[in-house]
Amino acid sequence: MSALLQASAITKRFPGVVALDRVSFDLQPSEIHALCGENGAGKSTLIKLLSGLHPAGSFEGELFLDGQPARFHHITEAQRSGIAVIHQELALVGELTVAENLFLGNERRHRGFLDWEKTWTDARALLAKVGLAISPDTLVSDLGIGQQQLVEIAKAIARDMRILILDEPTAALSEHEVQTLLALLRQLRIQGIACIYISHKLDEVFALADRITVLRDGATITTVAIADTDKADIIRHMVGREISQLFPRHISQPGAETLRVKNLTVAPSPGEKPCLHDISLHVRAGEVLGIGGLMGAGRTELMMHLFGAWGHRIQGEIVKGDQPLFHRTPQGALYAGLALVSEDRKRYGLIIDESIGFNFSLSSIGRLLRGLLIDQEAEAHTNQKYFDDLRVKAPSLETTVGTLSGGNQQKIVIGKALMTEPKVILLDEPTRGIDVGAKLEVYELINQLTAEGRAVILVSSELPELMGMSDRIIMLSEGRIAGEFTREEATPEKLLAAAMGQALAPVTS
Amino acid sequence: MKKQFSLRDFSLLLSLLAIWTFFALAAPQYLSARNISMLSVELAITGTLALGMLLVILPGHIDLSVGSGVGLVGGIASVLVFNHGWPAAAAFGIAIAVAVLAWTLMGALIVRERIPSFIITLGGLLIFKGAFWLVIGSRTVPVAPGGQTNLYSLLTTYYFPPVTSWILGAVVFTIWVFSTLRSRQRRQKLGFSVDDKELTFLKLFITGQALALAVLLLNQFRGIPLPLVILAVVALAIHILTRHTPFGRQLYAIGGNEEAAFISGVPVQRVVIGAFMVLGGIVAITGLMQTAYAGASTTTIGDQMELDAIAACVIGGTSLRGGRGSVIGVIFGALIMASLLNGMTLLAVSPELKLIVRGAVLTLAVWMDVKLSKR
Repeated sequence: MSALLQASAITKRFPGVVALDRVSFDLQPSEIHALCGENGAGKSTLIKLLSGLHPAGSFEGELFLDGQPARFHHITEAQRSGIAVIHQELALVGELTVAENLFLGNERRHRGFLDWEKTWTDARALLAKVGLAISPDTLVSDLGIGQQQLVEIAKAIARDMRILILDEPTAALSEHEVQTLLALLRQLRIQGIACIYISHKLDEVFALADRITVLRDGATITTVAIADTDKADIIRHMVGREISQLFPRHISQPGAETLRVKNLTVAPSPGEKPCLHDISLHVRAGEVLGIGGLMGAGRTELMMHLFGAWGHRIQGEIVKGDQPLFHRTPQGALYAGLALVSEDRKRYGLIIDESIGFNFSLSSIGRLLRGLLIDQEAEAHTNQKYFDDLRVKAPSLETTVGTLSGGNQQKIVIGKALMTEPKVILLDEPTRGIDVGAKLEVYELINQLTAEGRAVILVSSELPELMGMSDRIIMLSEGRIAGEFTREEATPEKLLAAAMGQALAPVTS
Repeated sequence: MKKQFSLRDFSLLLSLLAIWTFFALAAPQYLSARNISMLSVELAITGTLALGMLLVILPGHIDLSVGSGVGLVGGIASVLVFNHGWPAAAAFGIAIAVAVLAWTLMGALIVRERIPSFIITLGGLLIFKGAFWLVIGSRTVPVAPGGQTNLYSLLTTYYFPPVTSWILGAVVFTIWVFSTLRSRQRRQKLGFSVDDKELTFLKLFITGQALALAVLLLNQFRGIPLPLVILAVVALAIHILTRHTPFGRQLYAIGGNEEAAFISGVPVQRVVIGAFMVLGGIVAITGLMQTAYAGASTTTIGDQMELDAIAACVIGGTSLRGGRGSVIGVIFGALIMASLLNGMTLLAVSPELKLIVRGAVLTLAVWMDVKLSKR
């Protein structure tokens, strides 16, 4: 047994939850080891343990590095031992150059002063190593996400890291950038750098990893060599149940047209180039209109503009029934019968330090009045109704939303939107970052809303979800409508081709 | 929103007792009826201003100009009354209108032009101070002509007679008991957690004792001073505004997460401007009381009062990042600040040292806030 890094029988408790339950994990030298599991399975917690973010003593069980017991009390101790974490949110300073970032806290010096010459030569060598053809004096803020990621990796190499931990590194990358990254990791493996790779994307995992460990509900389910398994097998382990029941859309008979958008062209602000061009669409009562597209296609911008929260309209109009809407703020949109569940829950959805009840009634508080004052009894009763209907798992309405799981937080955002009793509900990535069980509840809720005759516009970047839940699908590409498909017409190939701005071309996979 | 009796509340109580003990030992007249009465007027002035400050700190802003504003408002009223012979009530009206207008303007600049409140109100500090000195011609302008009394001078010299004082105390206590019990009953009905019966009774009992003791002491001098009643009215109004109206709810939401509040349909700009507008009115009330307390408008009226108000807020558990704070906490913070300043004046502490202590207290309070909100 000469594992490079080993975790044995790790148990980590948070107040009220066991996040990890006797989890064991090992990383061999020159190995790429993938870590798979649903959100909340315990992946992040395990990473935080391995990288010293949860210090030694805050958990049970032991870590070994090169066979020696390792106790990290701080993240810097793990770094000194050669463990680097490349986070989803990159830890680079945008206003500094690539070279400065590479040696941040590790500066090349000469007699106490910065040695710029050595900084640049070394930086160039490092960039070559990760295959980045950019000048070391480029500002990091001028780089794309993919390039920034490579800079992060180069930074880790500059510090002689032996173990790289990558947490969802490809979430924001283009296909080409993904391939570059995977190639680099393979090359680093040859040079003896081991890697723990966390990803939801099984294609990547199978293209890259030597072994896979599946976590579920804080426990190790299995660790297998890639050759001995397949995707279906891994998914079964992750979910712990069959997934055929995942998209239970009940199609209801669509009624009258609820919302129509005509020739909408929108720029971020006056004087800028438009980023939504000539968008026309409509949605009927009881219907789910799906909107798909690649990252940056303008889906979120469209939702935010329809809701009055973003952008400067150059032309076009929004009509509800037969009455044109002129709202320019979310307040106006809510008044007009629209509601939005935003893609970024923490940023746009929740007042994180306030209670569930506070968040629930925030958009509807103007209607829960007796005279000029808030009718606290009516408020509490309404809140309680949504708390029960949405089956929020929390001790009470007074629980702080920050302490809830992602799925329950999402229920609070949805409840807040529903409490305004909207006619049209804009759902922007409503299942992002929540576990399978909560997703299912969101899907059921969509069915319920359309059954009640409300119109739903569903934005999703997951094709299966989009196809599974929509009655009709519009694909956006670079701010334009690139195709419209009925539920029956839609295939992953057609949708993807439209999203990539191609008339149906053969899709390589 | 309802919290248990926390370590923080407890440490506040302890520091208040420590301050009182220290000054009582250093200067026995600190606890005399006469000084308690003065302290209560000073508490009323600091507390009123701090309650206004709470309204703009809740949505995550700050106001450095209130001290200058206090001076300016008092100055305008004094000049109108003393130099131009206006009736005090009319002068009050003009002074209040000017303050509300100025603060509405500052609020509008802050939210519409997206200039940080720190900068706008720093500008306001200088502009109001300059305008103040212009208005009074950098001289001393009494609040009432030649030793007469008027509404202006009575503002801090009127005392409710002992019997009325007892009635006032009883009324306040009755309202307190009634609202505590009603809110407890309502929460119980809705299935929320409440203090148990004994603790509720104990809290009410102690509050009653404290109130009775305060009235007793104040009656030994001249009775309850008018400013204390003004503070009570302002406090009740701000409490209702922050806890029982959509406006208040939205103030907390903006401080907690402005973007989420906006997306949730909160008219962020209007609410913040509204908060500054109410603050303007409160600055005016404070300015009139502070000037009346000094007997005349002089160039130093209002100096550093913005810092006392901010310190009172922070000591009372208001978060400078917004979203957290309560009326009762702020009044407690104001009591600590007023006790400290009154004691130092009584001991004839030099102005230099006073400044240093003020600064140290403010720094300590903010440091505690940062520490505690990190958890």
